[in-house]
Amino acid sequence: MRSETIRTYKTVHTWTGIVAGLFLFVAFYAGALSIFEPALTHWASPPRTLPLVSLAQAPELIERTIAAEPQARREFTLHLGEGHEVPARLTWRMSRHDIEPHAATLDEDGGVSVTRLRPAGLGQFVDDLHRSAGLPGDVELGAAFMGGVSMLYVLALVSGVVIVVPSLVRDLCALRIGPNLKRMWMDAHNLVGIVSLPFHFFIAVTAVVFGLHDEIYDVLDRVVYEGQLKKVFQVESPFAGFGGKGGSAPMLPPTELLSRLQAAAPDFQPTAMDYRNAGTRDASVMVWGVDERQLMRGRGFAIMDAVSGEVVNASYLPGHQNGYSATVSAFFALHMGSFGGPAVKWGYFVLGLAGAFLFYSGNLLWIETRRRRDKDTGGGQSRSTRVMAALTVGTCLGCVAGISVAVAASKWLHGVVDDLGAWQWGLYYAMLVAAVAWAFMRGAARAGYELSWLAVAATLAVPLTSMLAWLVPGLGLWAWGGGIGIDLGALAGAVGMAMLARAARRRAYSMPADSVWARAGSVPA
Amino acid sequence: MNARIQLNWWGRILAGTVLGFTLALAVAGVFQWGMPPGIAKFQLVMWLVVPVWLGVLSAVFLFRDVVRAWLWLGGANVAAYALMFLLRSLVR
Repeated sequence: MRSETIRTYKTVHTWTGIVAGLFLFVAFYAGALSIFEPALTHWASPPRTLPLVSLAQAPELIERTIAAEPQARREFTLHLGEGHEVPARLTWRMSRHDIEPHAATLDEDGGVSVTRLRPAGLGQFVDDLHRSAGLPGDVELGAAFMGGVSMLYVLALVSGVVIVVPSLVRDLCALRIGPNLKRMWMDAHNLVGIVSLPFHFFIAVTAVVFGLHDEIYDVLDRVVYEGQLKKVFQVESPFAGFGGKGGSAPMLPPTELLSRLQAAAPDFQPTAMDYRNAGTRDASVMVWGVDERQLMRGRGFAIMDAVSGEVVNASYLPGHQNGYSATVSAFFALHMGSFGGPAVKWGYFVLGLAGAFLFYSGNLLWIETRRRRDKDTGGGQSRSTRVMAALTVGTCLGCVAGISVAVAASKWLHGVVDDLGAWQWGLYYAMLVAAVAWAFMRGAARAGYELSWLAVAATLAVPLTSMLAWLVPGLGLWAWGGGIGIDLGALAGAVGMAMLARAARRRAYSMPADSVWARAGSVPA
Repeated sequence: MNARIQLNWWGRILAGTVLGFTLALAVAGVFQWGMPPGIAKFQLVMWLVVPVWLGVLSAVFLFRDVVRAWLWLGGANVAAYALMFLLRSLVR
């Protein structure tokens, strides 16, 4: 390839990377955590206190609930499984945005007793942060903005590959650890970038679609479908065959429905059943579940007729989809890591964290490049270098500390404050803004290790909270009912960050005074 | 900057963003009207838009100059839309 072409793509890589890098750091760090979304919510939510009605008694529970609760007749969920992660056997929501579902259990007098559940919504917070990179305002708007950011990300990937291709064979596994720090960072950046390139490519392209799909459908409707797309949606709705029959009818018991579905799809593991219009001739059940051998859109589902027990729609049942649907499911699965079970989830977690490193190191490279130029021109650090260094340190470490504080506080504040979601966001923003302000006031070098220690402390607060709950039962908190994974993960993360903090401090004391990373030269940006 | 490649960044980026998007819509339309019907085809059609769009946007820096970029992409648009309208009229 001609050298001027490569130079052009170098410019593309630098600018797309610099503009998108910090947003992508937040999206990747929160995205890596969101792989374990259910476990996070479970960590911050109090253990189940209601007795779990057995599945054999579910028909009675359903009958009594829909007799007493009209909203539940419209739609309710029967949760399968017996583990601690099951919130209650039967729940329903008052609207699509209801985050505190009602739950029913059998009572002594032939009715149901209803309680309102208050899950901590922590997984939702992390997921919203992942999709919008924490941009204030409407999450959907933030997600659309991130669709645009992801376009820059794709450009950065393509141009990055074009840049390294000529020297790829020679330099890929060369990790030149030595006095040339810029060279070392570049090697690390290239190694991580190339090794995880397929992952990044899929993430980037799918992120553009997830961010902009509503807009693209709108335009396609006009240009390609002559305004008929809505009709296609309706015809293809999985519920298209239901409605309009009216009148009541007895439903088959859930266990019977499940055994019929199992006969049709033996490898499908159901986790929940969404009933609509229960007790009528239009009653339908959307059976959600997973088949880890398949590429899934998070989960798959089948629609059954609750009266006849027939599988009405298997278009989104993993392993039973047609070519079009299976292809789209593959795109979802490759973004979310929803295939192959826990090993793939951990792999995605590691790749997500490595991706965050890629953006952090990319910014450092830009700063180091600028530094050399500053020296060549005889001046000190330019303002843009100091600003970018402070912004990078403040945003990245503030994001890490902010998420950790929001996680730990969710357990403390549960049941104490009314709007836990608002507190999660408030604490996150408070940490982020404070960290960025601190980085600007102290300079990047000092803030680099000071904020690292802040992130360590915030992350340690997560396992310490559980530890305190266990040692001091009087606090009214809860410890490890849902497993110890989150606490161990946070502990490991804190140890890793402490090592980074020590390295950053050493560097701050050993760098030449004209470096943006030297303590001596660490001036406000 | 260079004699052989006339950069004109914004002209190129605009060509890639606008004509790349319209071309991607047409390619997705060709898929819609050229492939057999099936459940979720409209979803795959929507998914096709983004890779085509980004492919064009990534390649737009390879053109010798910005006029060539607009001419080639404009021509590709005309061809793709002609094919889509032809296929659509055959199906309808």
